[in-house]
Amino acid sequence: MDLINNLALGFSTALTFANLAYAFAGVLIGTLIGVLPGIGPIATLAMLLPTTYALEPTSALIMLAGIYYGAQYGGSTTAILVNLPGESSSVVTCIDGYQMARRGRAGSALAIAALGSFFAGTVGTLVLAALALPMVELAFKFGPAEYFSLMVLGLIGAVVLASGSLIKAIAMIVLGLLLGLVGTDVNSGVARFNFDVPELADGIGFVTVAMGVFGFAEIIANLEHKGKRQVFTDKVGRLLPSREEFKYAVPAVLRGTALGSVLGVLPGGGALLAAFAAYTVEKKITRNPDPPFGQGNIRGVAAPESANNAGAQTSFIPMLTLGIPPNAVMALMVGAMTIHNIQPGPQVMTSNPSLFWGLIASMWIGNLMLVILNLPLIGIWVQLLKVPYRLLYPAILVFCCIGVYSINNNTFDVSMTAAFGVLGYLFFKLRCEPAPLILGFILGPMMEENLRRAMLLSRGDPTVFFTRPLSLTLLLMAAALVVIVLLPQINKTREQAFQEGD
Amino acid sequence: MKINDAKDFWSGVMFAAFGLFFVVFSQRYDMGSAARMGPAFFPTMLGGLLLLLGIVTMFKGLTTKSAASKVDRFHFRPLLLVLGAVVAFGLLLRPGGLLVALAALVFISSLGSDEFRLRDVLLLTIGLAVLVLIVFIYALDMTVPVLPAFLRT
Repeated sequence: MDLINNLALGFSTALTFANLAYAFAGVLIGTLIGVLPGIGPIATLAMLLPTTYALEPTSALIMLAGIYYGAQYGGSTTAILVNLPGESSSVVTCIDGYQMARRGRAGSALAIAALGSFFAGTVGTLVLAALALPMVELAFKFGPAEYFSLMVLGLIGAVVLASGSLIKAIAMIVLGLLLGLVGTDVNSGVARFNFDVPELADGIGFVTVAMGVFGFAEIIANLEHKGKRQVFTDKVGRLLPSREEFKYAVPAVLRGTALGSVLGVLPGGGALLAAFAAYTVEKKITRNPDPPFGQGNIRGVAAPESANNAGAQTSFIPMLTLGIPPNAVMALMVGAMTIHNIQPGPQVMTSNPSLFWGLIASMWIGNLMLVILNLPLIGIWVQLLKVPYRLLYPAILVFCCIGVYSINNNTFDVSMTAAFGVLGYLFFKLRCEPAPLILGFILGPMMEENLRRAMLLSRGDPTVFFTRPLSLTLLLMAAALVVIVLLPQINKTREQAFQEGD
Repeated sequence: MKINDAKDFWSGVMFAAFGLFFVVFSQRYDMGSAARMGPAFFPTMLGGLLLLLGIVTMFKGLTTKSAASKVDRFHFRPLLLVLGAVVAFGLLLRPGGLLVALAALVFISSLGSDEFRLRDVLLLTIGLAVLVLIVFIYALDMTVPVLPAFLRT
């Protein structure tokens, strides 16, 4: 069978000593940074991206995937122990996880989160491997018009699922698209919006934007919030969940995994949506929960944690097969691939099969490492939470600055990152969610290129987007999304759902 | 006119300004035609869209019926010190070398916190310097001057 052969190729790539070491390093460093309160996977990835430049592409991507899972899992640890979500997708875990910690059951909450994530990760990896081939075949039917429409759908999807104001999220995407266009235009060779600064002729660095808007802005925002945090460090308790807890958790994990795997594939989907949806479902279907949700019910940890990991896994599908990132984290992965001169898209699987399948296999290995690494090391992560922030952030800044400099050996990039830090802080103050900006930034040049090609092929006739059936379907889906969200009833529920998260 | 939702209003102003900038600046380049788009075509379209979205957001901020909301106070101290430290690092790296730039970055950024303790910052600087030398200079073999220009041989 093809799938088995492909996975065998993947495992033979991923199981080399070097790649195992990089996966391990990624998971370890990712957890290390992800545990720090207030630093989510996006900021972690942006910070650590430069450390992978020196590696060969396969190892670099394997390590980045490891960093992503590690950061995601580290975020849950912080959520449970400090009631401070490291990232939006562990907001839900905070609700019941922290209450469990207060009851002295932090150990079982952490263990269930780890085991549930591992199970979900395994399923997610299998779904990814199984769907990869048919998706790539579909992708080869795509022309420039279809790609353009698909990107429209992806961007609309991302907006619909972003929290907060719809119109502001759309504006952030458009701003991201425009910032992505800065630099030399490939078709005409004209350097656009560069103010005659030679460094800008190559465009704004992707790490520069991500690190400034996410990393630096987050540090400054954290410095504003003073209040002492209460960490439940002394009573993590027994790690092994009780039989009763297992009985409740297992079905919740199964439901969360199924939901997460589906939602992760959708444009704009991924970990956040999956976690929210899984928690809502658990709340709806559980009769007479004891203890009630919000007061430390194990299902409230098991379901969203499994769902966000399954979603994290399956959100690699559109990125790897179509080259279209469904969310900001995947946009970072696309950025990383481009830096290594791999053009993301359906051709990656055929032209670089060992990278493609090796990455998929290493995801499963990474998930396994998470369990092995995190359960015994939980004590160390807890100690890390005790390090005062005033010592942490200068250290984070040092690694960020050296990282940005090392991309092009260029000090201009460092100052540029500071400028994006100002912009990121402004976004934070004006409640403009920055994730859509990053997505737009990555898609900007791709969208322009496909628009140009489609219009050239149709000799300037814009109806081409509506006359080609695949393209029309994609655009209709995008329109349907907008209509659904604008329906007053849905809009209300959506606002409520995100408010619960705040 | 009264501003009801200040966050929305000022977001709108920001978006409109960015949109306007890209539209105006794009006109330096060739527009081309629909079939052969020049470098100005797509940015002009997007800039126009952003300008429009900005204006709509501004109006939303003016007309919304929700309770008046203000923009939270800007904390300029951490903003300036953290980002100033980053800029200082960039400026000092070539002439001063990695160690000087790192010390400046740690010191200036630490001032952004309310609990600045000189002894801790000194220890942190030394610890980070050792770590960075091991990781970036010896392990990753990064090409960056370590010592100040006048001490280099």
